[in-house]
Amino acid sequence: MSQLLRFTDVELYYDHVYALKGVSIELNEGETVALIGANGAGKSSILRAITGLQGIRKGEIVFDGNRIDRGFGPDAIVKMGIVMVPEGRRVFPFMSVKDNLLMGAFTRTDKGGINATLEMVLGRFPRLKERYTQAAGTMSGGEQQMLVIGRALMAKPKLLLLDEPSLGIAPKLVQDIARSIVAINRDEKVSVLLVEQNSRMALRISHRTYALATGSVALSGESTALLEDERVKSLYLGGEVS
Amino acid sequence: MEQVLANGLYLGAQYALIALGLTLIFALMNVLNFAHGQLYVLGGFVTYTIYGQLEMPFVAALFAAAVTLALVGGLMERFLFRTVLKRSVREESTMLLAAGTAFFLDAIILLIFGEKQRGVPKIVDGVFNWDFRLIMPYDRILIGFLAIFAIAAFVLYMQYSKTGRALRALAQDRVAAQLMGVNVDRYSMIGFALGAMLAGVVGGLLVTITGVNSGIGGPISIKAFMMVMIGGAGVISGAIAGGFILGMLESVGLSVLHSYGDITYLMIFASLMVFLSIRPQGLMGKPWG
Repeated sequence: MSQLLRFTDVELYYDHVYALKGVSIELNEGETVALIGANGAGKSSILRAITGLQGIRKGEIVFDGNRIDRGFGPDAIVKMGIVMVPEGRRVFPFMSVKDNLLMGAFTRTDKGGINATLEMVLGRFPRLKERYTQAAGTMSGGEQQMLVIGRALMAKPKLLLLDEPSLGIAPKLVQDIARSIVAINRDEKVSVLLVEQNSRMALRISHRTYALATGSVALSGESTALLEDERVKSLYLGGEVS
Repeated sequence: MEQVLANGLYLGAQYALIALGLTLIFALMNVLNFAHGQLYVLGGFVTYTIYGQLEMPFVAALFAAAVTLALVGGLMERFLFRTVLKRSVREESTMLLAAGTAFFLDAIILLIFGEKQRGVPKIVDGVFNWDFRLIMPYDRILIGFLAIFAIAAFVLYMQYSKTGRALRALAQDRVAAQLMGVNVDRYSMIGFALGAMLAGVVGGLLVTITGVNSGIGGPISIKAFMMVMIGGAGVISGAIAGGFILGMLESVGLSVLHSYGDITYLMIFASLMVFLSIRPQGLMGKPWG
């Protein structure tokens, strides 16, 4: 398996407050890697650093053999094949489901390819087909989550970044979302970097997991092993029911 | 009655086009462009120079006005608003910048084109007369239809083109649009240029009917704000509604209130105050449609 993404000793600050201090992680092609940890542990900051929304102070980020941590804005990162599904979904509320999906393909110019991806997305999320011309803002949270995952797939990414996809979603739908993430990773050969507060779900659907605490990696390993790890159980799975 | 309605529609179409430009810029950048009326005046003078002075075809003059104003709008975004937006922490900074730009453009227009009222030869002669119930010169009818055509073209462009879709996305969620690969700087510039172009086109259209002078920029800006406030800031349908409502009110006011003196705008402003105190977000107030 070849390496797709690597963080080496990354430090990231918001003004004078650090969010990441010396984070090193890796993601191989075809993998689903989960980042778990409490609020403020730095999970989302890792995603913001990859997408170029937030600059890093030290270290390096390598994607597909190239450094991407200096001089690339969010739009350039998308063109390289990294697409993020932001926290809180962020659909374009007054645009139709169709226009939202087409926005996902903004960086692509191959009409035939875009149509093929659209078919794939609508096949995977039939609910979006039913709501095709409806304004995205009028849909339920679960439907919106499907829409933004579909929107990200429209870009045909190599690496999909998911920021808290289970947040604010009805428990029954969380299962569906989790299943689609596994299916997308397996069928569409998209590597996935998943940030989740729902640690149990994250450990179940990922190959490997990094547990973060106050800006650095506290634990890491195969997800199946971590699910049985006593430290993980007490720190991240304690009292959680799902 | 027919006459009042026709006048209102003709005026409303021009107004809607002005309001569309202002609301587009507002929705994209959260900037109230106080210099919008000056852009209109500039469009009028470009058309006056090319069609009136150099006696080239009106279509060419209108095209030149559109291109010139798109260029001016693009430069305003690139060198004024972008720099201020990037560095300022307070929203008032851009309002002051816009007000300053308005005064600056006023002075430039005065320097280049002088203080005289300018008009151009009629683009078509003749008057449409329907039994004296509806009398309208053909050039007004033509200009009215051109404005409606421009509104339709703009709406279709925003709805169905890739650029239009990106502009709407940017207005609705800046970060999400960025994450889809939209370059915020480039598309803010395109949006600003498009908004300025609309103002310039109306200036070019109306110079053939009412002429143009260097002092009307401010009043036009104020009318544009009123329309946007009536319809709801940042909404395409709101700008169109606001434009036609103001046009119709003005037309009705001029005929009904005529005998009481020049109080049309006094009445409009008074009703606007009442209307906004009941519905501060305007008719279709939401971030973007």
